[in-house]
Amino acid sequence: MTDKSYAEEQLTRATLDHCVKCTICETACPVSAVTPLFPGPKFVGPQAERFRNGLSVDHSVDYCSSCGACTLACPQGVQIAELNSQARAVMKKNHMPLRDQLVSRTTLMGTFMTPVAPIANMALDMKPVRTIVEKVVGIHRNAPMPTARTQTLAGWLKKRPKPAEPATRGPIVYFHGCAGGYFETETSKKAILVLEHLGYEVLVPKQGCCGLAQQSNGLFEGATKSVLKLCEQLRSAGKDLTIVSTSGSCAGMLKHEAHEIMGVNAEELHDVGARTREMSEFLLDLYEAGELDTNFERNDITIPYHAPCQLKSQGMGMPAIALMELIPGVSVVESGQACCGIAGTYGLKKEKYDIAQAVGAALFKMVKETNPDLAVCDTETCRWQIEASSGVKTVHPIWLIHQAYGLPDPR
Amino acid sequence: MSKIVVIGAGIAGLTATLRCVAAGHQVTTITKGIGGLQLGQGTMDILGYMPNRVERPLDDLAALADEHPDHPYAILNADAVRTGVNYFAELVGEDLLVGDPERNVFLPTAVGALRPTALAQPSMMAGQLSDGDSVVMVGIRQLKDFYPGLAAQNLARSTLPDGGRAAVRATYIDLPARKGEADATALTYARVMDDPTFRQLFVTAVKKVIEPGEKVGLPAMLGLKDPNSWREVAEGLGTEVFEVPLQPPSVPGMRLNQTLVDKVKNARVRWVYGSQVLGGVAENGRLTGVVAGTTGHNVTFPADAVIHAPGGFESGALELDSYNHVFERTFDLPLAGADNEELLHGNYWGEEQPLFRVGVRVDEQMRPVDADGSAVYENLHAAGGIIANANRWREKSGDGIAVASAVRAADSLSTPTTAAASGAMDSKGDN
Ligand SMILES: Cc1cc2nc3c(=O)[nH]c(=O)nc-3n(C[C@H](O)[C@H](O)[C@H](O)COP(=O)(O)OP(=O)(O)OC[C@H]3O[C@@H](n4cnc5c(N)ncnc54)[C@H](O)[C@@H]3O)c2cc1C
Ligand code: SF4
Ligand code: SF4
Repeated sequence: MTDKSYAEEQLTRATLDHCVKCTICETACPVSAVTPLFPGPKFVGPQAERFRNGLSVDHSVDYCSSCGACTLACPQGVQIAELNSQARAVMKKNHMPLRDQLVSRTTLMGTFMTPVAPIANMALDMKPVRTIVEKVVGIHRNAPMPTARTQTLAGWLKKRPKPAEPATRGPIVYFHGCAGGYFETETSKKAILVLEHLGYEVLVPKQGCCGLAQQSNGLFEGATKSVLKLCEQLRSAGKDLTIVSTSGSCAGMLKHEAHEIMGVNAEELHDVGARTREMSEFLLDLYEAGELDTNFERNDITIPYHAPCQLKSQGMGMPAIALMELIPGVSVVESGQACCGIAGTYGLKKEKYDIAQAVGAALFKMVKETNPDLAVCDTETCRWQIEASSGVKTVHPIWLIHQAYGLPDPR
Repeated sequence: MSKIVVIGAGIAGLTATLRCVAAGHQVTTITKGIGGLQLGQGTMDILGYMPNRVERPLDDLAALADEHPDHPYAILNADAVRTGVNYFAELVGEDLLVGDPERNVFLPTAVGALRPTALAQPSMMAGQLSDGDSVVMVGIRQLKDFYPGLAAQNLARSTLPDGGRAAVRATYIDLPARKGEADATALTYARVMDDPTFRQLFVTAVKKVIEPGEKVGLPAMLGLKDPNSWREVAEGLGTEVFEVPLQPPSVPGMRLNQTLVDKVKNARVRWVYGSQVLGGVAENGRLTGVVAGTTGHNVTFPADAVIHAPGGFESGALELDSYNHVFERTFDLPLAGADNEELLHGNYWGEEQPLFRVGVRVDEQMRPVDADGSAVYENLHAAGGIIANANRWREKSGDGIAVASAVRAADSLSTPTTAAASGAMDSKGDN
């Protein structure tokens, strides 16, 4: 009955002229809720945009974290967060701070840090080093930093024994994201083991960065190059295969952000974006089709769960909740908060660190009160933020699924 | 247990969702954005004007139906409205809505008019004034949306329900919600009012500007999450206070919205927020699912029955193109009142705009019907602002229509199970 695609609907409706000034977006913005420095989405979005005419008229838009809560809330379909990201890119053009260029280069940091992991970790743990980094580069001394591993995911894949059981369901492509390749390799390994347990042949093509961090810092040119290269890499694994990702936010970059924010219209992006599924989304789809093995071991636990802003922005609801509650004994408490504050690289910056902490304050409290030992969240940077600020170990939902299937720890 | 998809999360969609959950259905609610609750006054309007001020809304529904036989209230009688309103009041609880659906109360607005409504928040109820009351309207210099002078002067001129007058004066306090902010909204204040320390500062400041024996009118910002915030203020001041709802962002409306959304999420409804339903999949006159445009790809949500609560023209459910053609955007449903030559006229303050009555016609089960009166899809039900032939904001009837139609729709769902059951009954009757 319908042949309208999402993109067509959005492109026909989502202009600032659809704004009726209802203030609904203002009530959803986590940044303007905690600081008067940011006048809120309606003001810097559809209102200010009228006066920009391709130029930049205000600097307060830099305080927008691009969390996307406003776009989700708007009943008229105005793409406020997207407008803001575009305005920021224009504003910072020609005088992009070195810091913003540096924090966006996720793969670079990963390749750098892996061989020297123990040293890098030690240095990042030291107060004086972090103070210098804050002064010189502008990354706040207390901001969460990833822990480098001595072995990359690619290294593990090369060394590990081949799966014992032959695949019964055919091939699937796994997209791990930079963090999943260098820092949070444990999550990637568990995801691969779960997919293999379900009978898939898991293909992991060599893959670079999706460019999300560059995009959110307004570096559209570099981000476009990165995302298109990644699309080619993911396509090289095979035509028409489903692509599954444990990197909640990076999946969003492929599905919609590269196109909607940066206007990338390449065929390879649309092809990859349409085939990409976030991990919990994929598993819950399987469940609803009656194709998920639900032979889960009991796990009596109440866990706080936070859906990252960039996961919520994918407009699919929160599939992780229903998925985890398929495990007998698991009871999930949803955070109800729009954003943890970090919003990719926003909360790392010295001038935004306090705002990011204030944005996340209610979440950190809720996490600690719900379960002081374990929390769940789908994106790496958000997990680092929650862990650093609440002291509660925070894992990807796949950790619970991996455990419930009784699978061995990846070696 | 059937699979129900509800489209929209305004007052109609949220009420329908919870009613379906209570009936044991598995519900998915898909909404493009937050609904209209937080744009309203945070009250429950059943019928306020027709066009004169209405005292007993449920009693007057029959007269309204006589005058407008195609009005939603003519299809939903007083019993259905009573059921819907009582159900809604139960959902949000007595901390948020009190009153009697049989009888309207008249409460001061931000411009000092007396506005009829059936149920209101307990924090507003002291605004029912009687002859001889002395009232002070207190504004805050740093709050941009409340002008106590305007409210006080108009209120002083108004004839109260008992025929008398109140003595009303205006005053201000100086108390920024956040350092350095000169033009905060009521929402910013409501958030800090949840903090007992700020509340104390507020009480101290107001105490200095009020006189003994005065009722105190305050902008509706006395706490967002803490339902006792306003009581503490009243106790601190040692007098009766009433909240006056402001323009959006409406704090009382947000209280209702958040309470319902929390209930929906806790009930493990699949809550698909930020996605638009683009259309449906139909088979033999029934919908088998709806298609939502999530990012990257469209998703079909299977459904045994669908409740369509996308609001009206104001929420983008209806669209008017440049050829004066108005259509329903999701299912392209037949619309009543759409073939008017002049859907909009240029006189803003004049007669009502015919466009605002355009919507779907429904049967007793709230199913959109075509020109012949037969259901467009056997299992598609509508609720709320999408239903034709009401002038919701002039009549002050939008809330009542929404909850009554939502409850009726949820209670008369046509799912394959119920269809099979009634089919069996029909064939029995034939024998
Ligand atoms: C200016 C104004 C003043 C008013 N004043 C009053 C008053 O004083 N008293 C009164 O009783 N009524 C008043 N009304 C009417 C009242 O606000 C509405 O009748 C009521 O809000 C309708 O509620 P609803 O749930 O049907 O729709 P809404 O609250 O509009 O919610 C619709 C929901 O559906 C979603 N949606 C729409 N299309 C889709 C789609 N295709 N897919 C997914 N989601 C979709 C929207 O995002 C939204 O969440 C007023 C209306 C206006 C415009
Ligand atoms: S929610 Fe949408 S329509 Fe409302 S003010 Fe914000 S951008 Fe405008
Ligand atoms: S993207 Fe987030 S921070 Fe930016 S305006 Fe929207 S809600 Fe506020």
